[in-house]
Amino acid sequence: MTYGDGEGGSQRRDSQRGSNDFAYALARMAVAQICEGVEIRTLQDSHSREGARFSSFQESALERLTDVVIQYIQSVGRTAQFYANMAGRGEGNALDVVQALEDLGAGLGFNGAHDVERCLGDSDVVKDIVRYTGEAEEMPFVYSLPRFPFKKGKRRAPSFSGIGGEMADEHIPVWLPAFPETKSKEVEETNTEKVGEVKSKENGLSLPSMQQSLDVDRLKVQKSMEQEDVQEPAEEPEGNPFLAAPAWVSDKDVPRVFCPSEPTNEEDSIGHVPEKQKNIPPPEAHAPPGMINDESRLGGTEDGQKTQRALLRFKIGTRKASMCWTIKQSLEDKGWFLEDGDKREKKVEREEKLETIDTDVK
Amino acid sequence: MNHGQQSGEAKHEDDPALTEFLGSLMDYTPTIPDDLVEHYLAKSGFQCPDVRLIRLVAVATQKFVADVASDALQHCKARPAPVVKDKKQQKDKRLVLTMEDLSKALREYGVNVKHPEYFADSPSTGIDPATREE
Repeated sequence: MTYGDGEGGSQRRDSQRGSNDFAYALARMAVAQICEGVEIRTLQDSHSREGARFSSFQESALERLTDVVIQYIQSVGRTAQFYANMAGRGEGNALDVVQALEDLGAGLGFNGAHDVERCLGDSDVVKDIVRYTGEAEEMPFVYSLPRFPFKKGKRRAPSFSGIGGEMADEHIPVWLPAFPETKSKEVEETNTEKVGEVKSKENGLSLPSMQQSLDVDRLKVQKSMEQEDVQEPAEEPEGNPFLAAPAWVSDKDVPRVFCPSEPTNEEDSIGHVPEKQKNIPPPEAHAPPGMINDESRLGGTEDGQKTQRALLRFKIGTRKASMCWTIKQSLEDKGWFLEDGDKREKKVEREEKLETIDTDVK
Repeated sequence: MNHGQQSGEAKHEDDPALTEFLGSLMDYTPTIPDDLVEHYLAKSGFQCPDVRLIRLVAVATQKFVADVASDALQHCKARPAPVVKDKKQQKDKRLVLTMEDLSKALREYGVNVKHPEYFADSPSTGIDPATREE
């Protein structure tokens, strides 16, 4: 029997309850209603048909019965689907259901079970059910149910033609859903503005704080631009650089490629790194050489690097990242809280490194 | 209707038993709501756009529950009544669906819901529960 494993029900019930509270409660009410309507009719001499009914339940008994009923329904469904699949169909039909009911009723037996060539339409199981519906009183469920389960309407991404029409790539048909907005366009526009501001700020601040102030300003500008026209798909993970859109480097200046054969840069980087407030020994120790080189770019010579840094900072980041940046801005104002500041900076640094790696690859 | 179909196409004679029932199903509202049954059927992989099939399963389930409940009721009634102080009490015996009756009834259907005894340290463990006051 498929539902012979009733003793595992208690553990399953907890997990069932966790995920299907609503369905479970409804099933419980329905089962209670059915039990309430069950009547044993006894004929006695003095009285006409006297019906003995259940007046109350033990709660645990009701729960067990509900569990069994739920498993019964699931067994019927599973077996019916099995029979449908055996016949090469994807959807079950009435005969599959009848076969499933016969399977589940095989323990008790039903008329005609011995007959191998019986017709399913004539199945005794069905006749029993017909008889039951004739005899039992009809009890509709007491509550009217909302449409269950709720289906939230999914907002489909609009197609290209829906948005705007023209596409840079001709191989993409316009009826496909549009790409999510990429930030690269805005980055290109803000970069040129930012370069001027960078130089003015470099005076009294250390490198990391300067970088952060840079980012903050840039992202503020970016944000104001973003708010106009961005449709951010909700699915885009926040702050995960691996899933971020690749940066476009077609129109802007390609950053200077770092050649590993340049020892001067490395020395500079190693020299600069301890100076940084956000000292990150673990990434230095464990990161591959490529990462250290990137750090060198970040912390390296100030003249040409600044512009590079400004160009590199794109934010491929999402809004969450910008929130990070704003937090750091506030931190910078108050003074460095080393523990929190370190962690946040680490996160930022890692994002930066990964971004720079992307540009290197290109 | 039977004979008409029999003489006409190569259909089985008793097909109408099922088709009639399916036709009449829309008049009968099972106690278990359709949505609930559909939810559990879908959970086990059986998806069907036809409401009548879902009602068929709902009615079959209702029949199952009714059978189990009536068996449990019979067990409950068959149990010897407790000590009756008044004759009036005997007539108004309240029937309660208990775990013991339910487990006996489900036993016949192949479902084992034995309730374990937790009172292991008392000498009355294992004695017929009807005589024990609960």
